[in-house]
Amino acid sequence: MAILALKSRPTEITPDADKSGPIELVRYVCAIGAMQSAAAIPRVVPITHCGPGCADKQYMNLAFYNGFQGSGYGGGPVVPSTNASQREVIFGGADRLRELIDSSQTVLDADLFVVLTGCIPDLVGDDVGSVVRDFQKKGVPIVYAETGGFRGNNFTGHEAVTQAIIEQYLGPWDGVREQGLVNLWSLLPYQNTFWRGDLEEIKRLLESIGLKVNVLFGPDSAGLGEWRSIPRAQFNLVLSPWLGLSTAKLLEARYDQPYLHIPVLPIGARQSGEFLRKVAEFAGLAAGPVEQVIAREETRYYNYIDGFTDFYSEYWWGLPARFAVIGDSAYNLALTKFLVTQLGLIPAKQIVTEDPPVEHREAIREQFRAIDHDVSVEIEFAEDSYLIHDAIRKADFGHKPPIIFGTTWERDLVKEMKGSLIEVGFPASYEVVLSRSYVGYRGALSLLERIYSTVVSHSA
Amino acid sequence: MARQLKQIAIYGKGGIGKSTTTSNISAALAEAGYKVMQFGADPKADSTNTLRGGEYIPSVLDLLAERRRVDAYEAIFEGFGGIYCVEAGGPQPGVGCAGRGIITAVELLKQQRVFEELNIDIVIYDVLGDVVCGGFAVPVREGIAEHVFTVSSSDFMAIYAANNLFRGIERFSNSGGALLGGIIANSINTEFQREIIDDFAARTDTPIVQYVPRSLTVTQAELSGRTTIEAAPHSAQADVYRQLAKRIAEHADSKVPTPLNPQQLREWSARWADHLVAAERAEAERNREVA
Ligand SMILES: Nc1ncnc2c1ncn2[C@@H]1O[C@H](COP(=O)(O)OP(=O)(O)OP(=O)(O)O)[C@@H](O)[C@H]1O
Ligand code: SF4
Ligand SMILES: [Mg+2]
Repeated sequence: MAILALKSRPTEITPDADKSGPIELVRYVCAIGAMQSAAAIPRVVPITHCGPGCADKQYMNLAFYNGFQGSGYGGGPVVPSTNASQREVIFGGADRLRELIDSSQTVLDADLFVVLTGCIPDLVGDDVGSVVRDFQKKGVPIVYAETGGFRGNNFTGHEAVTQAIIEQYLGPWDGVREQGLVNLWSLLPYQNTFWRGDLEEIKRLLESIGLKVNVLFGPDSAGLGEWRSIPRAQFNLVLSPWLGLSTAKLLEARYDQPYLHIPVLPIGARQSGEFLRKVAEFAGLAAGPVEQVIAREETRYYNYIDGFTDFYSEYWWGLPARFAVIGDSAYNLALTKFLVTQLGLIPAKQIVTEDPPVEHREAIREQFRAIDHDVSVEIEFAEDSYLIHDAIRKADFGHKPPIIFGTTWERDLVKEMKGSLIEVGFPASYEVVLSRSYVGYRGALSLLERIYSTVVSHSA
Repeated sequence: MARQLKQIAIYGKGGIGKSTTTSNISAALAEAGYKVMQFGADPKADSTNTLRGGEYIPSVLDLLAERRRVDAYEAIFEGFGGIYCVEAGGPQPGVGCAGRGIITAVELLKQQRVFEELNIDIVIYDVLGDVVCGGFAVPVREGIAEHVFTVSSSDFMAIYAANNLFRGIERFSNSGGALLGGIIANSINTEFQREIIDDFAARTDTPIVQYVPRSLTVTQAELSGRTTIEAAPHSAQADVYRQLAKRIAEHADSKVPTPLNPQQLREWSARWADHLVAAERAEAERNREVA
């Protein structure tokens, strides 16, 4: 009898590149880092079921030494943990978790608890679902997501948390859609150092053309009320190269809700205008009022740019011409688009560092290949900073000192190359970030300030 | 229109006849027109062999060892009567974590929505001997199998294992996990064997789904790499499996098991042991008289 699988594997199996080696200077955290995604929703408190140190490490890396964003209402040091150890490994940690959830309810005031598991319970196979369902049956607002580090990084974890809330907290829905209400799925909270300001600006833009926005995370979200209204929204807007897509697809399957995917976060007038027109068209908004909004924004924007051109034309000889970006695909793509199409800089090296799922990689490459009508960029996917720095050193930056958009890990490298560094991603340990934004019309101006203050003070 | 999927798990002491029985159930169900998947949740990866002429197939974890991502369909092989055969597989004996392996394999098929896509009517999990750790309890958790059947002979060790399994199911049943469907009494050939297993079933208030005699037909079929249904379709043994399969297909209501506690179990087996010794003595007595 011939034995064939339903789908045959390619005869030549190229083994996966050996990724098991150490990574120097990490650029993301493990899946349970998504505890900060839960904490990014107002009045939501994560509960971690993991070994000692797991939760603290995520918080310190993501929310402290990354823009010093702080823990939020329920994140960081507030997060209760089972502190699982030998006992829970051998005998299972379900009882300990039950006890912790019980007491957390007594001590903490939260609209929703999100239980996140670390490697220990996921490995030994604790049936966390059954523990949590017991509480759900008693009416406790609580969900769980399996986020052991071996399952993936904090991007994976974020999708797990988001989808856990959708699947376990939002019930079935068959009401009437609210025209003009949109759910925004975009930057990864805390991992992206500027997510709070950026989401605020995106929300402002969408509202300016008459939409109502469930921004879902951050200070501009109304919390769980927004989450409950997710199914009611006219559509989902996925504003990132890939993160949030699977959530939008889940919502499409669950609530028959359409989604619009725009991979490029808009920075500057050109991109922001294009963004607003695309969204408006999908939402079925009349073009006239939208054009008025764009015109108003552009008047303000170009007014500032006009002033800036004095500086730009005077200093042109000292300004960098070639740039590199090392960062998550979302910001990498957005910055490259802006710098190429609106500042005329030349891309020397773009390295995407968040280890996007393989099924999205080709689409991400395509986006970079179409940066402008005459500019196509071949990106690299890399996570190990040794390799990343090696690639940057070998890149061609011409005769001028390079400008690098990266992270604190590039400090020494940029000194060595006598270039300028703009810290735009995790970890940004020499930036204090409150509401600063680099996207939209307003964010673009902040970004220009940042870039050229850095450059002009370089020799000071 | 998606059909209603029925998921069943078969547990029992090592070597008691789980894989043999499961494969025959699958074969009989396929013969009766059902779309069946048999999922071997055992690192030995030999559950479905007699559905494919005795051939081994690569397990989910074999594939996963080669690559970080596996398309579930690469681990599904068609066997007798179009039965979809999957083996979870596991690490080499003595290394790694087999329990985690089972969890991963089950998750993989669930995540990729294979059951729905293949329009399967019945999935049968053939799970390794004892529920040694959390991993092997995965098939009885909420959202996986709804009904558990245990294969047991009248041997005390097999009954101990069945009773242990009842305790495991009882634990999960409070939280929405699988319930107990009943006992498949295997290798029951004498009246005495039947009395023992009947008594255990009565004490734990568990239905016996079917008595399966120990039969040479099964051995012969196995040696030719086939199930009894395939190798000896007209045998009495094949009809026994068909009847069992029919009962399982029609089975709807399982219940929370009521196991004996360790003390009760000890007393119960001690009583049967005395009974056994008395019976043997009587038999020896009889033989002496004849001589
Ligand atoms: N009713 C039967 N009549 C004859 N032989 C049988 C019967 N049931 C099982 N056997 C034989 O017993 C042996 C063990 O059976 P099987 O492999 O099905 O057990 P198992 O419970 O799956 O074992 P394991 O726990 O090792 O997976 C096999 O050789 C099988 O042919
Ligand atoms: S990888 Fe596992 S052990 Fe390490 S921090 Fe993450 S959850 Fe904890
Ligand atoms: Mg077996």
